[in-house]
Amino acid sequence: MHLFLLGVSHKTAPVDLRERLDFSSGDLGAAVEMLAAKPAAAESIVLSTCNRSEIYLASDDAARAREDAIEFISGFHQLPHDAFVPHIFTFEDSAVAQHLFRVAAGLDSLVVGEPQVLGQVKDAFQAASQRHCTGPLLTKLFHWSFAVGKRVRTETALGEGAVSISFAAVALARKIFGRLQGRRVLVIGSGEISTLTAQHLRSHGVGDIAITSRTAANAQALADAVGGRAVPWTERMTALASADIVLTATGAQRPILTRDQVDRVRKRGNPLFIIDVAVPRDVEPSVGDIEQVFLYNVDDLQSVIEENMSRRAAEIARAETIVADEVARFTAWQRSRAAVPTIVALRQRFDAVRRSELNRLDGKLTGLPPEARARVDEVTRLIVEKLLIEPTEQLKALPDEETQVAYTEALNRLFRLREEESRVEDEESAERARRE
Amino acid sequence: MNLLPLVLYAAAGVAYAIHFARRQPTMGRAATTLLLFGALAHTFVIGMQTMEVRFNPVASTSRAVSTFVWLLTLSYLYLELTTDERAMGVFILPVIVALQVIPVVFPGMTNSDPVLNSAWFWVHVSSLLFAYASFALAGALGLTYMLQFKEIKKKHLGYLYTRLPSLQILDVMNWRAVTVGWLFLTVGVVVGVVWAAQARAVSPNDPNLQAMSLDDPKILGAIVTWAVYSFAMFARKTLGWTGRRAAWLSALGFAIILFNFLPVNYFVTTSHTFQ
Repeated sequence: MHLFLLGVSHKTAPVDLRERLDFSSGDLGAAVEMLAAKPAAAESIVLSTCNRSEIYLASDDAARAREDAIEFISGFHQLPHDAFVPHIFTFEDSAVAQHLFRVAAGLDSLVVGEPQVLGQVKDAFQAASQRHCTGPLLTKLFHWSFAVGKRVRTETALGEGAVSISFAAVALARKIFGRLQGRRVLVIGSGEISTLTAQHLRSHGVGDIAITSRTAANAQALADAVGGRAVPWTERMTALASADIVLTATGAQRPILTRDQVDRVRKRGNPLFIIDVAVPRDVEPSVGDIEQVFLYNVDDLQSVIEENMSRRAAEIARAETIVADEVARFTAWQRSRAAVPTIVALRQRFDAVRRSELNRLDGKLTGLPPEARARVDEVTRLIVEKLLIEPTEQLKALPDEETQVAYTEALNRLFRLREEESRVEDEESAERARRE
Repeated sequence: MNLLPLVLYAAAGVAYAIHFARRQPTMGRAATTLLLFGALAHTFVIGMQTMEVRFNPVASTSRAVSTFVWLLTLSYLYLELTTDERAMGVFILPVIVALQVIPVVFPGMTNSDPVLNSAWFWVHVSSLLFAYASFALAGALGLTYMLQFKEIKKKHLGYLYTRLPSLQILDVMNWRAVTVGWLFLTVGVVVGVVWAAQARAVSPNDPNLQAMSLDDPKILGAIVTWAVYSFAMFARKTLGWTGRRAAWLSALGFAIILFNFLPVNYFVTTSHTFQ
């Protein structure tokens, strides 16, 4: 059984094509069921995020798997082959594991280290598993990838540090205030960044969001968008007195918040976090000199983001090492799994010899008391077990596929396992058929 | 006997440091577990010593230090388990380990001065040790606050920024620790005065008791400590001295305590040297 992957991502396909190949908006379960019906797809999973659509298959025939995957995409999205085939990438076996582990770790994302992708990988597995489209190989692979994602997250700082203005502002607010529940926010002036930041603050559970603007209608519109309340421009200083977080984004040419004003209305000792995203700045720089006032303007936040970006970049190498390590371990597991039929055949061969010898001696053994006969049976079984322990371990731990093929071949010849193996496989497939 | 807790504390300290640097959750849990075992072993040691002298485990400086370390460890564990913040461990554990060395190097002698066989004395010493443990925590929280404050205020969000808790948590915890410490300090000092007066009535010729006055460095130190923390509490309520100023005061207060507790106790004081 081989692993096969076919997909498009932000690295290989333009955004309009990615949109047309998106599975996440529709019914992911129905898609994976349709895929699983293809003949070469023994196990199937469809992974779809904003930047990628990927088909994971476990199949005996990689070439057929590729054809089936292309057929499936073309059929599901009603697209001719040549519309997307030039943009696809494909991987097989350990390269599939490597790709998925990198995706789960956030290494393949547009914003490296973003945390959502791991959840999407889990969703993809869930959708396929609920419809019984997965099997032992893909289940193992995906569970492994969850662990890799988690390991990279806990052992490296890849996902740390905000990389957008609004996230950086919220992260800072949390380092100042701890939990944001019940904190009071004042937004002065409206704009894209202040809207986004207010929304983020809202999602972190801040209490009151007061919004004021020279144009009352703008304030009302933003208030409606983020679930806040509009405050008349003339009352902004009253709102400032009780605010914990202030967001300024007006188009004013001169500062609208001076040190005197802030000193006058603020109760001493209460921390105040001011985020000034306006250019030119809305807040007099000396406001930041007040003891419990933390003033960040757009350049400060930008440099925070740049620092975070470079810190993330520095973590990439560590994350890649973890991925490589896990891929090696996964491949070793997969190889040990490939050795299983040979091991089973070898065991059956040995046991067959043991039984035939016992049968041959049956006449001589009948004279013995039943306990002694049981003992003989037990001892011979143990001898066979012990003889096989070491070879079994060695077979499972072979370093690469080539060696494995050579060893399997040698064992087949030395012990005439071929007949045994095909018998085992027949039995297994009969068993599977019976279960299904 | 104090060696086992010391070894466990040192191991926990190393684990806290590794956890702080690499932030592996398993290392953090290992650190807490080691510290819990250290505290457990220490509880056992103190229990044994109490049984041995029948009444009072705190009458010699070494034993008092050991009890102080034990209380500090328990207070820290309480703080960690209630806030789920492990970053403080890296600041507290060095204090714990350094102080625990004292009872290991100078195992306390068995105390038999009958003057000390009083429940008042026991309350006096235990309250003060608990107050000192709270102030030690407050000092470490204050120090951490100042580091984190500097990173955020100077807009240089570096190594410490990501690892240290939020300013708010640090400030609130500092305030709680100072309040608890101040209460116990007050109780300890008042009970000490009452006990000294009583004891003086019973044995008027004891040189220690005769030396008990505001001129004694140790007693003066205690009064200064009380004044510093009283001011810290007053300033927070009325002058808005929260955050960095409160942090600074609690660090200063703990520096005075450490000085009063160790060098003064061993070399200078004449009033607190019962043999």
